[in-house]
Amino acid sequence: MGLEFLARVRSSTLWLAVLAALMVANYAGWRMGLGLAAGAAWSLANLWTLERLVVTITGSERRTAPSARRAGCVLAGMLALFGAGALLLRGLPPAALVAGFLAPFVVMTFKAAATLLLDSPLWARLTRSPWRALALVLGVAALAWAVAASLPSLGGASPAHEPQAPAAAPAAGHAGEPAAKPEGGSSTGPEKFANVVSVLVKANPGAEWAHRLHRFEPVVFSLLVALLLSLVAFLATRKRQLIPGPLQNGVEYVVELLYDFVVGILGPKYGPRYVPYLGTLFVYILAMNLFGLIPFMDSPTSSLNVTVGLALCTFLYVQYTGIRELGALGYVDHMAGSPRSAISWCMVPIMLPVHLIGELAKPVSLSCRLFGNVFGEDMLLVAFTSLGVATLSFMHSPVGIPWQFPFLVLALLTSTIQALVFTVLSTIYLLLMLPHEEHGHEEASQPVH
Amino acid sequence: MAKPPEEDAYAALRSSGLLLAIPTLLIVSPLAGFFLGVWLDRWLHTRPWLSIVGLALGFVAAGRETWLIYRRTLEAEERQKKKEK
Repeated sequence: MGLEFLARVRSSTLWLAVLAALMVANYAGWRMGLGLAAGAAWSLANLWTLERLVVTITGSERRTAPSARRAGCVLAGMLALFGAGALLLRGLPPAALVAGFLAPFVVMTFKAAATLLLDSPLWARLTRSPWRALALVLGVAALAWAVAASLPSLGGASPAHEPQAPAAAPAAGHAGEPAAKPEGGSSTGPEKFANVVSVLVKANPGAEWAHRLHRFEPVVFSLLVALLLSLVAFLATRKRQLIPGPLQNGVEYVVELLYDFVVGILGPKYGPRYVPYLGTLFVYILAMNLFGLIPFMDSPTSSLNVTVGLALCTFLYVQYTGIRELGALGYVDHMAGSPRSAISWCMVPIMLPVHLIGELAKPVSLSCRLFGNVFGEDMLLVAFTSLGVATLSFMHSPVGIPWQFPFLVLALLTSTIQALVFTVLSTIYLLLMLPHEEHGHEEASQPVH
Repeated sequence: MAKPPEEDAYAALRSSGLLLAIPTLLIVSPLAGFFLGVWLDRWLHTRPWLSIVGLALGFVAAGRETWLIYRRTLEAEERQKKKEK
């Protein structure tokens, strides 16, 4: 508790503010987003100076001259902050600034409530049984769904604005039965296979819940994949044995492979720290890629929204790693091209945007590659299934020739390769951000956890 | 957890991973620079200057990233050679 709690609040607020500012900038304009970010930054700086002041005043060296100097500096910093706050109020929307200012307090309240809840006997009783815990998770998910439905911008939109399910099957026949049209409905290309959501939309054309489900189709399928993976992990680790059963053995084998893979690239000093993120990324992407091969399911990675989300996670994690490993000033120095001479200082205005573009290119390339490959693979399967049906259509055959079968086998391979490429590139981007001379295995002695 | 993997058992994978990043960065960096420039042009009404500057900076960024990756790969290979000696 105490200072450690405040440090955790700061780091959570920072992430929350960045994500919230991006969302607000997207939906309500850049001034609102900037206002929210500036408000949160101001509030965090204010909290930090207050914390320093309290530590200086109440610390063991409180009556010494250096302590008095520090307190003076902190007070001057607070005055400067108030000046900056006045300037911000003149230039940015006050509502956004206030919302940003309140962010640390909201985080603090939630963290305190969570700490109280997690230590309570009620929580211990709830989580003693996994089934009770599962019921709780499902209850919270149902509540979130109900809240989302009550928000007009998410779920309350008129069905007239929602994309409608196609009225008629295409010429490809029932084997190539289409999913609902993409949003906007202007696409003239081949449509994807029917999945459980599109079937529900077709069966309930007037139901608002079905259209909402269709709107969040990639989210629904990615949550389903996450749920399945969690279930497998839960079942594999429920009763761990020294001599493992088949499931535990399989999961341990996969984990060990991923551990060796990541540590092999990043080295034993830094590697173990990044195994959980990169390993999860690989397993999750692979499962999402393969999910589309199951009848009436869909690959969430064939939606650009999902791949952009995954790439943004990697991008933010890489930047966070850079700041953590190099320090804030070291990170800025790195982005500016590490200027050490007068000429290199003159090059900073060029090197900074160059480096920024280089960093921005990474998530773009990650997301577009994964989306393009998985979407193309899906389209290929649809095209060859349609061809198989069309081949025997002159006989009015109820089934077609399974031309798509070789491509299903190929899809197994490409899905694995794409998951591997995404993970390898994410690992490489982390490697490029880590301190330069530390990757060599000869320097590494103990893993950092 | 698992024991540390054999030293440099994954050196080839590391090098190939580093080199795999090059082609996409070469293509995407100029595009990212160009579209960033187009967006800034629309915002600041300076068409087409910032698009051109963005494209040029994108090419420079691609070259720089490639150079960094190439240098990193060379260093890894040199370390490997030293270890073999």
